[in-house]
Amino acid sequence: MRKLNPPLAITLIVLALFVFIPMISAFEFSLRTPGKGGYGWDQYLWAIREEEFFYYIIRSGWLAALTVAITLIVLVPTMTWLHLSKSSIRPFVDGISLLPLVIPVVAFAVGAQISFPEFVQDTVLELPFLYFVLALPYAYRTLDIGLNSIPLKTLTEAARSAGANWWRTIITVIIPVIKSAVVGTVAITFALSLGEYTLTVLLHWDTFPTWVTFVAQENILGAIAISMMSLVIPFLVLTALTLVAPERSTQGRK
Amino acid sequence: MQEPYRSGFFNSIKIGLYSAAIAAIPGAVAAYFIESRGPVKLRRTISVMSGVLANTGGVPLAFMFYAALGIQGQLTKVLKFFGWDIYAGRFSLGTFLGLLIVYLYFQLPLMIIVFSPAIVALRREWSEAARNLGANQLNYWIKIGIPLLFPSFIASFLLLFASGFSAYATANALTIGDIALTPLQIGGLLDGNVSASQINLGKALGVVMIVISAFAVIPYLAIQRRSARWQKR
Repeated sequence: MRKLNPPLAITLIVLALFVFIPMISAFEFSLRTPGKGGYGWDQYLWAIREEEFFYYIIRSGWLAALTVAITLIVLVPTMTWLHLSKSSIRPFVDGISLLPLVIPVVAFAVGAQISFPEFVQDTVLELPFLYFVLALPYAYRTLDIGLNSIPLKTLTEAARSAGANWWRTIITVIIPVIKSAVVGTVAITFALSLGEYTLTVLLHWDTFPTWVTFVAQENILGAIAISMMSLVIPFLVLTALTLVAPERSTQGRK
Repeated sequence: MQEPYRSGFFNSIKIGLYSAAIAAIPGAVAAYFIESRGPVKLRRTISVMSGVLANTGGVPLAFMFYAALGIQGQLTKVLKFFGWDIYAGRFSLGTFLGLLIVYLYFQLPLMIIVFSPAIVALRREWSEAARNLGANQLNYWIKIGIPLLFPSFIASFLLLFASGFSAYATANALTIGDIALTPLQIGGLLDGNVSASQINLGKALGVVMIVISAFAVIPYLAIQRRSARWQKR
């Protein structure tokens, strides 16, 4: 690990100013206590005492966790196979994985509303599958880079000749080797699902982000406090997750 | 195509292009310094942070900018103290310019996310080989670095355009119908008690949006395939 050099330091300072000025301004607002003057944690205490607060955090949390699970279960085996088989459909799948970027979320919501049968639209379980689609371009790219950077064929052949079946190969060999790509995928998918607003609101579901919008109509300062938490909590959780992942990285420079 | 839908498309395309153009170069430069000079832990933290920030939008993002650049905002006060009253003219966060500034908050992290892989794929051998052959930093960048990164740069720009073009949540939270944007118009047509013909109009606008984004993302695919050739190990 080298020391920070000047261009990097300047970049980081500029980025930090850009990111933190709005964030800290909002934080200052959320600490205001109208009526009493001065500062306090009143708005945060108010938010935590709201019954819906934990209800929506838990709801958004498990929807996001389910999205992450779907993403990993679908993508890791599929992409391993695509990379191994040198199949001619791989460029086609690469293209498909980018479709969610072509289709604006608003248009995607229209399509989902028109085409899905009633029993799908009646359950909130439709959301994780739709979030999976929204996160697909980022998840796919991250895993693709991870799989490109390892000697995949050698590893799977070694595992297979040592007697492991396909599931065992994927779980005990491939996932550990591309761990940093997997962690990256988890991070982006989780962040996207927690913050998703457009699709959720157009399909008439309530999650944490839509609840914040609702609160904003009656208690602005409280809503700012909740917004701050909705930014800081995922960031802390995900940072902890990525920093816990072991240092040995097969990506990038060695 | 009739008003207000024509100006809706016009504004949406304009904000997509402008926000992508402004975010692209600083994002690319930041991605370069972070990926090429940053320690592992810093790179990971920044990638997580970019992931979270690129997905901020809607009411939380609107709050942050009201708190910083709103009439009572902190930054507004600081700028006023130094003699620049940004509210002297017609500026407000709900105008095109205001929206553009707010969009940069998620476009810049998005640029860092989508451009970083290209930088990771630049091999140190290339810059060492160039130096061995007598090239200085400038020669390396003009003859090797920029030509190699340019396709990925254009590709990232196109992705940013698609993202800015179709952003809904933030625009919805910041504007009060004073600026026509297609995603908002579609949202309005689908939401609430509207007639069947309006819903069909919403669907039609959705299809036009897909066509416009496709114009941006199809070149992206072609470019990616080309740069994938040298990015493979």
